[in-house]
Amino acid sequence: MKDLENISQLIDQSVSLDDLEKVRVEIFGKKGVLSKGFVKLKELQGEEKKEEAQRLNELKESLLGLFDAKYSEIKNKEVEAKLKEDALDLTLYQNSYQTAALHPVMETMDRIIEYFVSLNFSIENGPLVEDDFHNFEALNLPKNHPARDMQDTFYFADNSLLRTHTSPVQIRKMMDTKPPIRMIAPGVVFRRDYDLTHTPMFHQVEGLVIDAKDKVNFAHLKSILTEFLLEMFGDVKVRFRPSFFPFTEPSSEVDISCIFCKGEGCRVCSHTGWIEVLGCGIVDPNVFKAVGYEDVSGYAFGIGIERLAMLIHEIPDLRSLFEGDIRLLEQFR
Amino acid sequence: MIVTRNWLSEFVDLEGISDELICDTLNSIGLEVASLQKIEIPEGVVIGKIISCQKHPDADKLNVCEVDTGYSIRQIVCGAANVVDAEYVAVATIGTQLPSGLEIKHANLRGVDSDGMICSASEIGLPSFGEGIMILDASIGELIVGEALSNYESVADSIIEVELTPNRGDCLSVLGVARDLSAALSRDMREIDLKLNEHTSRAGISRHASLESEKKFDIDLIFALVNIDVLSLPFIIKLRLAFIEEEVKDRISAITLYATNSIGVIIRAYNEGCFSKDDGVAKIKISQNEKGLIEVLASENICSTVGVNQYAGCTPIINGEKVFIEASYISAENLSSMDVTKKDIQTDNFYYNTSRGSNPDVDFGIKYTLKLLEKSSNTEIYDGFLIHEYKKENTIIKVSISQLSKIIGAELDKSSVVSILKRLGFEVSISSEDLLAITVPLFRADILNAQDIAEEILRMTGIDNIKSQALSFVENYHTRAVYDEYLAKKSIRCKSVGAGFYETVSYIFSERKLLEKYGFEVIDKNLELLNPIVEELNTLRSTLLVNLLLAAKRNASYSKRTIPLFEIGAVFDKNREQKEKIAFLFSGSSDSENITNSGKPKMIYADAFIQKLGSSIGLFDLAPCTFQNSLIHPYQSADIVIEGKVCGYISKLHPIAQEDFGIKDTFIAELDVHPLIKTKKVASAISNFQGVYKDISVVLSKDIVYSEIKSTIDTLDLDYLKAFYPIDIYSDKALKKDRSLTLRMYIQSHEKTLEDTDIESVVGAILSKLEDNFGAKLR
Repeated sequence: MKDLENISQLIDQSVSLDDLEKVRVEIFGKKGVLSKGFVKLKELQGEEKKEEAQRLNELKESLLGLFDAKYSEIKNKEVEAKLKEDALDLTLYQNSYQTAALHPVMETMDRIIEYFVSLNFSIENGPLVEDDFHNFEALNLPKNHPARDMQDTFYFADNSLLRTHTSPVQIRKMMDTKPPIRMIAPGVVFRRDYDLTHTPMFHQVEGLVIDAKDKVNFAHLKSILTEFLLEMFGDVKVRFRPSFFPFTEPSSEVDISCIFCKGEGCRVCSHTGWIEVLGCGIVDPNVFKAVGYEDVSGYAFGIGIERLAMLIHEIPDLRSLFEGDIRLLEQFR
Repeated sequence: MIVTRNWLSEFVDLEGISDELICDTLNSIGLEVASLQKIEIPEGVVIGKIISCQKHPDADKLNVCEVDTGYSIRQIVCGAANVVDAEYVAVATIGTQLPSGLEIKHANLRGVDSDGMICSASEIGLPSFGEGIMILDASIGELIVGEALSNYESVADSIIEVELTPNRGDCLSVLGVARDLSAALSRDMREIDLKLNEHTSRAGISRHASLESEKKFDIDLIFALVNIDVLSLPFIIKLRLAFIEEEVKDRISAITLYATNSIGVIIRAYNEGCFSKDDGVAKIKISQNEKGLIEVLASENICSTVGVNQYAGCTPIINGEKVFIEASYISAENLSSMDVTKKDIQTDNFYYNTSRGSNPDVDFGIKYTLKLLEKSSNTEIYDGFLIHEYKKENTIIKVSISQLSKIIGAELDKSSVVSILKRLGFEVSISSEDLLAITVPLFRADILNAQDIAEEILRMTGIDNIKSQALSFVENYHTRAVYDEYLAKKSIRCKSVGAGFYETVSYIFSERKLLEKYGFEVIDKNLELLNPIVEELNTLRSTLLVNLLLAAKRNASYSKRTIPLFEIGAVFDKNREQKEKIAFLFSGSSDSENITNSGKPKMIYADAFIQKLGSSIGLFDLAPCTFQNSLIHPYQSADIVIEGKVCGYISKLHPIAQEDFGIKDTFIAELDVHPLIKTKKVASAISNFQGVYKDISVVLSKDIVYSEIKSTIDTLDLDYLKAFYPIDIYSDKALKKDRSLTLRMYIQSHEKTLEDTDIESVVGAILSKLEDNFGAKLR
């Protein structure tokens, strides 16, 4: 039995799982020390047998405990060694992938579209090459009207033109459907103008709401646009200034307090503290007449996207937006 | 339109109203203030009276003046030639700091002491006008020697530039802006004194002139005849014309210009000598020319085209000569029907006013001008006028207070509505409890209906004072088609960005020559753009790729080594039909420079580009390329096929084009957007039986492209064949012109676990079909 006492040392001296396996066989195997001890029990009788059995069981128990502890110890060491072997500095790989970015103007337009879609506005499209009727005439801009000067137009040899605003989509929609209407028309528009602050193409989102006579008024327009601008720009002041558009009456331009100087006055707002962001108004009766609507009321608004995107993202140069310049675009990743 | 505070005050009472309030008010009523400039006359500049003026003993160009500056008489040396004509001047006394930074000190000029400076306009911060020093007169108020010039409100004025919308021709005058302010601030308009001095022997105009018209034209003309002895321009007129940045050509045109800017009536002057005479009576003729324009004629010479232009020949040079003063009106509507701008007719400065609506009150206009002349000169004014008058009807609008309230969305008060309209020059009569009959003044041709009236009320009430209201809207069903399309495109855009492509937006324009060079369609000549902005943008694009390549070229010049771009946008075919396309471009290194590739990523190659494209647009097949243009690489290109339809192409950029654009290896793709917009997907049942992967290798000619093999197998329509794809190609000398192609198949049934015979039947069918069609042999 002395052997039995000493075998705990065997467990302790094991350094690998292989060593431990050998020890396990020696101790717990069919021909192991413990088994031999239990076989010898047959030779004993009575109290002595009982005592010896109890002793053997206790020994087995304690050896198993020792064995399990040793097993975990060696296993953990081996896992640790394996892990260390796998070591890799992942921080080296931070530039090993490529991702790009949406265009800031398109992303701004997405935000505007999603805002109005969430209010259940429909989205409408129209052609970029338009005719005089849809782009001007039906919008209360008869030939020789001085307001046509406001919109220097690209013309084609067959007298069609590139739409100067998204408003012709209103006309198409109204001629196509009966009121009520609640729509936006996002898209590109064109003016024959090319300098630091003008590009020949830019984006607009047009909005139009039409319902029965006397239902839609200026206070409604004020409500929706104020909320929209707060959503886009956060905590700003909104100011409505009377203005003129041939297709709305009354008309208004809408300013927000300058987001750069908080209304104190800076270069961006030309020291006025205000930045003009959109135009709007109550649809002019002549527009309804042109599309054959009677007994309706409505409002319309138009938002220039580039300007909004430039304000939100503090983009200094309008023209850079149309040059596919990765140095600009990668900043929006 | 530029106005000044002091000039406005001639028409409206602005007492106690700050410049800032004036500007805020103008902004809130729709007359947007572009700038406010307050003239600040330096402290120490006072009114001086020249007592004597003598030549400097040692300098030809200098004068030595004795000037009374109120509390003392100073000797001041002055270099301006016009000082000899001056009586009252602006004197900068010792210690005055001028805007230029110069401080006035005692000086000795060539041996003569000088205690102060006699100033020109620009020296004390006024806009410069005329030459030499300013010669003051009582037009700025009583001249008190020694009084600070800054106390004269007409000099230390505030200049306000207003941006007018095109409908507000009536505000192209100080009077018009004053009228709007009067309504917005509830201040009274001032009476204008038009009464001329009583002359003892005023001759009647009809003895000296006659007016003859072919017929009654839709214009108003009124002529007066004056005999101006010496016309000296009052200081205030010169100063104000300088404030509004008008250049003074001669004295009489300064008067007409001033009058027109002041009250908005178009005023012109003609030399009476130009008109032929019959018995001493000058004959003024009005007739219509072949272009439809109405002209004022002096015998055969054209003096002016009404509302359009005046010709230099009849401009008077006053030297005791008789001068006709004319006030004219032609409505903007009438003028626009004459299509002036399209007929290549020269127009003068007043055309801007007439085309937007000048003041129709010619009677007021002529009287105002005569009064001005009388104040500025010794003028003999002949009695009476020659008049061509066209009767115009005022627009009358009937509208109820409740109707106006419903347009604006606020309860309006009748008395304030009436008060606003009256101040704006409307006549209002109340025909019943709620109904107003509003007579629109002739100068407001832009007011045509109830909504126009509502706008007047809204802007005078202030939009900011209207309470927002949410609109309750009863929804109709509206189709989501466009929104669904938008969402689909947005998903493609986001996936493309995830695959590493930057979204770009380029002009829909292109250069015709460039499109032709690369073999793209161009718009038919008779549909082409007439007025392009520059040659590089002289047509509409028929492809997105040329613009993407130009962007790639720019990026390459910024040392970008990886240039991945995409764009969704409109293109136009030769019939100018619009179509939406999406294009991808990947130029340069296929990957970032990183640890894995030791900073040497491979140039973009077909497989990598196709994978990126797949990540962006989803599933597609490739087929031999059927597109032709000079960007396409003839041996590394393919059609993109989606749901059986060819909808675009993918290609390596042709090396010549690559050289043209100065970029590295590049792949391009362009396809229609429409096929990418997926319709509703329907799920099919999933098999629960185990499937089997099986590889076969066949030897066939290198000339046979894989897409042919694929479509051949597809035509077999084998039930158990769930998928197959190429996994290896191999060629060596022994195979000669053939190659070995390994296909992997996935074979599965929905009904049962497959037996060997089932699998063999699938493989067998494929092999025999490939042998039949292509002579393929199992390797």
